[in-house]
Amino acid sequence: MTFTDVLIQQIVNGLALGMMYSLLALGFTMVYGIIELINFAHFSVFMSGTFVGLFVLHLLGFTGDSTGLWGLALPATLLLVFAVTMTATGLLGVLIERICLRPVRGISGTAPMITTIGVAFIIINVVLMIWGPQTKPFPKIIPDRRWTIGQAEVSLVQILLGVAGLVLMLALNYLVKRTALGKAMRATAQDMDAAKMMGVDVDRVIVLTFFLGSALAGAGSLFFGLYYGFTAFYIGYQTGLRAFTSAVLGGIGNIPGAVAGGLIIGLVQSLGGQLLEVKWTDVIIFSILIIVMVFRPTGLFGLQTPQKA
Amino acid sequence: MDSSTSDARVGTGVTARWHTLPVLRRRQILAGAGLAVALAFPFITGVNAGHVDAGANAFTYVLLALGLNIVVGFAGLLDLGYAAFFAIGAYTYGAAASSQVKLPWSEVWTPLLWLGQVSRVQVEGGRDLVQLQFSFWGMLVAGALVCAAFGVLFGAPTLRLRGDYLAIVTLGFGEIVPVVARNWDWLTNGAQGLGGIRTPKLLGFDFGFSPYPYYFLALGLAAAAIFMSFRLQESRVGRAWMSIREDELAAGAMGVNHVHYKLLAFAMGAAIGGLGGVFFVAKLTTATPEMFQFPVSVMILVMVVLGGMGSVRGVVLAALILSFLQSVILQELTLWVNALGRTIGSAWLAEVQLITSLELIFGLILVLMMLFRREGLFPAMRRVTALSRDEQAALPSRGTTVQLSWAEGAPPAAASRPLLEIEGLTKRFGGVAAADGIDLRVARGELLSVIGPNGSGKTTLFNLITGLVARDAGIIRLDGEAISGLPPHEIVARGVGRTFQTIRLFSSLSVLENLLVGEHARLRAGALGAIFRPPRVRAEEREAVERALEVLGLFGNRLLPRLDHPASGLSYANRRRTEIARALMTRPRLLLLDEPTAGMNPAETLELMDLVKALRGLGITIILIEHKLDVVMDVSDRVVVLDHGVKIAEGKPVQVRNDEKVIEAYLGRRRRAA
Repeated sequence: MTFTDVLIQQIVNGLALGMMYSLLALGFTMVYGIIELINFAHFSVFMSGTFVGLFVLHLLGFTGDSTGLWGLALPATLLLVFAVTMTATGLLGVLIERICLRPVRGISGTAPMITTIGVAFIIINVVLMIWGPQTKPFPKIIPDRRWTIGQAEVSLVQILLGVAGLVLMLALNYLVKRTALGKAMRATAQDMDAAKMMGVDVDRVIVLTFFLGSALAGAGSLFFGLYYGFTAFYIGYQTGLRAFTSAVLGGIGNIPGAVAGGLIIGLVQSLGGQLLEVKWTDVIIFSILIIVMVFRPTGLFGLQTPQKA
Repeated sequence: MDSSTSDARVGTGVTARWHTLPVLRRRQILAGAGLAVALAFPFITGVNAGHVDAGANAFTYVLLALGLNIVVGFAGLLDLGYAAFFAIGAYTYGAAASSQVKLPWSEVWTPLLWLGQVSRVQVEGGRDLVQLQFSFWGMLVAGALVCAAFGVLFGAPTLRLRGDYLAIVTLGFGEIVPVVARNWDWLTNGAQGLGGIRTPKLLGFDFGFSPYPYYFLALGLAAAAIFMSFRLQESRVGRAWMSIREDELAAGAMGVNHVHYKLLAFAMGAAIGGLGGVFFVAKLTTATPEMFQFPVSVMILVMVVLGGMGSVRGVVLAALILSFLQSVILQELTLWVNALGRTIGSAWLAEVQLITSLELIFGLILVLMMLFRREGLFPAMRRVTALSRDEQAALPSRGTTVQLSWAEGAPPAAASRPLLEIEGLTKRFGGVAAADGIDLRVARGELLSVIGPNGSGKTTLFNLITGLVARDAGIIRLDGEAISGLPPHEIVARGVGRTFQTIRLFSSLSVLENLLVGEHARLRAGALGAIFRPPRVRAEEREAVERALEVLGLFGNRLLPRLDHPASGLSYANRRRTEIARALMTRPRLLLLDEPTAGMNPAETLELMDLVKALRGLGITIILIEHKLDVVMDVSDRVVVLDHGVKIAEGKPVQVRNDEKVIEAYLGRRRRAA
């Protein structure tokens, strides 16, 4: 393969990965946009989603050595697993907001962020207690089909996940731009007090934001499981931090920005691993995080995030 | 309430005696007792090497937690990557005292060879190599310095960031350091980690692998860190940190250079982390990247949060409690639970290792503390006794004599040049001109009032003079010297003090501490002076307190009995007074008062205006923003009227009152026509 072919291949891989980061970054960005909170618990919500997915697949009788499904069974199973996992992680997000974050909402300073670090540690260790420290194989229910386009290979997993990601993002876009709830969300993000006075049930909007963000993290977690074929209690931190970098890169609070940021980070990871050594990927990604935070806190696209006084 | 009843309240005998002791004496006694127990601990019967080792680890945690407390607790900068400094210190010593680094021999090394810090190793068939064997004691200092440099390096990018962004950037650095440690094989031996690190030697005695010498060394380091933390907290440096934590903008307006003090906090915190790293690696003789990851940063943060951010004794106790939990309680409890499991036939209980739930406990501590007790178990804020009934019932008295030892006195009648000269001062916010080519001269000893409708640019004028807002055009001169373009803390140092329209006191600091922050620019003590407190610094602090009492005396008995009360607990009028007192502590030549009587009743307003006039009598030039026009007409020498950022009138109160433009600005065009 020539260099160009490798490059194209890595772009395909990077975009597939980037889809996962985008889904995860959306949760960060939506929560930040609305209550200006950096939510570390999101890492663990994502991680626990992989175990929910694993649990559902086990219930359906799939194990680590299951082979791919064909025909209608595949979309039906995928739809079911996505629905259950996204609902479960969404509810987990709601639970976190209600129990741990609502009491500290509006407290200035770092207390809310420290709370989310605590929540993240609790969730990670509960998962560790239930499932143990071993890496778990994730059933490969999507058959290993590959197509060659030019010199690059595209797998069925990549195509299916790409389509699923696109559908979810379009749905979110519709929700935020076209529905009453979306309008309420945008109003709350602009000015919570004013939204309250205009009759927006801010508590409900925030809970729903957590639900949506966490549900998208649940979808992202299935991407992780299906793509990498394994899961473990520790995966949330690294993937979550990369996704967080995506959100920052796109301008934290900026929904299209999070999607673009996720795709860019996916490309950085696949191309960076190709051009440099894989082991330095995280240094590149965290350097991006630091540089953007310091020099361009509004993100690459320079869109102003709603700022509260 | 006299002293005998107060004794009866707190108890009798020993307890009563204890409570009458000064705080400092009490602290010395407690510290002495604690030190004695800690020194005796290894010799108590039943204490084995394992316990002593756990003790050494506990003191390492105390050291690290106190280092993080300087950054997070004192300066209010949430550092989520603190373990990075622990790692840098550890690898600095590890690389300098093991056979990992292989450098070719050259003559450059000869001096170090004489000092015994390196040796020359003969290699068969190749060039000779240098074997690094730097002394632990030298590296303790070097490690701290290297970390301080990294602290500045990692801290500098965060200076302008808000709290949560700063946390993320430190987290990023905290992630990069272990990755570098894992991948920079030449220095760190990668994932396998450094091994065979030399143990410390002292006067020919090798510390070796016995925990006892490490215990005493760790105790010494922890004790030094405790001493240092207390000294810093009650110094000019500590007050500067806390003022930045409470209100960075107000701190700048009181003369605190936030860049300097933030970097100092990062450097000192990092240096302490480095000491911990050097010590820990010397004790363990290995260093691996896993020892320094995010959970370690969080563990140290948990100690600070549990004890109470900024509370030295709280952080020390929390570090001891958490390490006791790790090394004793969870182990003992595990044995107990396992036995229980065997009895009731539960395989899970019989085999569970509770130590694995340590991070779960950390998570629970963080969440529970944030939800129910954010100030920590042992908060930094001293509890103040409420004022006695007599003190509460005391009639408010005014300061009888208005005297300030440093005031210059009334200026000569024919003062040479104006104290403040403003030319063409312009500031736009988007399309709105908050200052539009303002020209203004304020004579020495003058009391000038600035009035104008809401939004006319009065407060912006103050912000421009004090450097809180950057001007677009124009020049501001104080005593002939240009001050426009200088940072706020330098403008304060040149003699401009101010109050804020919306009170900006350092709310969790006491009244006295608020005033002492005001004096920041007039004091000299740096970090070393704060720690070692030489006679010069002691005298400076004593005089500062005297001057604070003198300034508070201007307000009679309103603030003096409340010296140790947190500013947040004061009445509204007293907060206004405290803010004026704080501004006076900067020893201003020019005092800017932004609506000082807002929210005060007529009697309080009159009282305050008498004071303002008296201050003017002491030779302090005053610019007053005020909405109460009767007040303005009464006290002012001259009045300036602003409207939409333009000076529309200027002159004696009577002239201004009858100026048509002024009436129009206040009442509108049609009213004037009618």
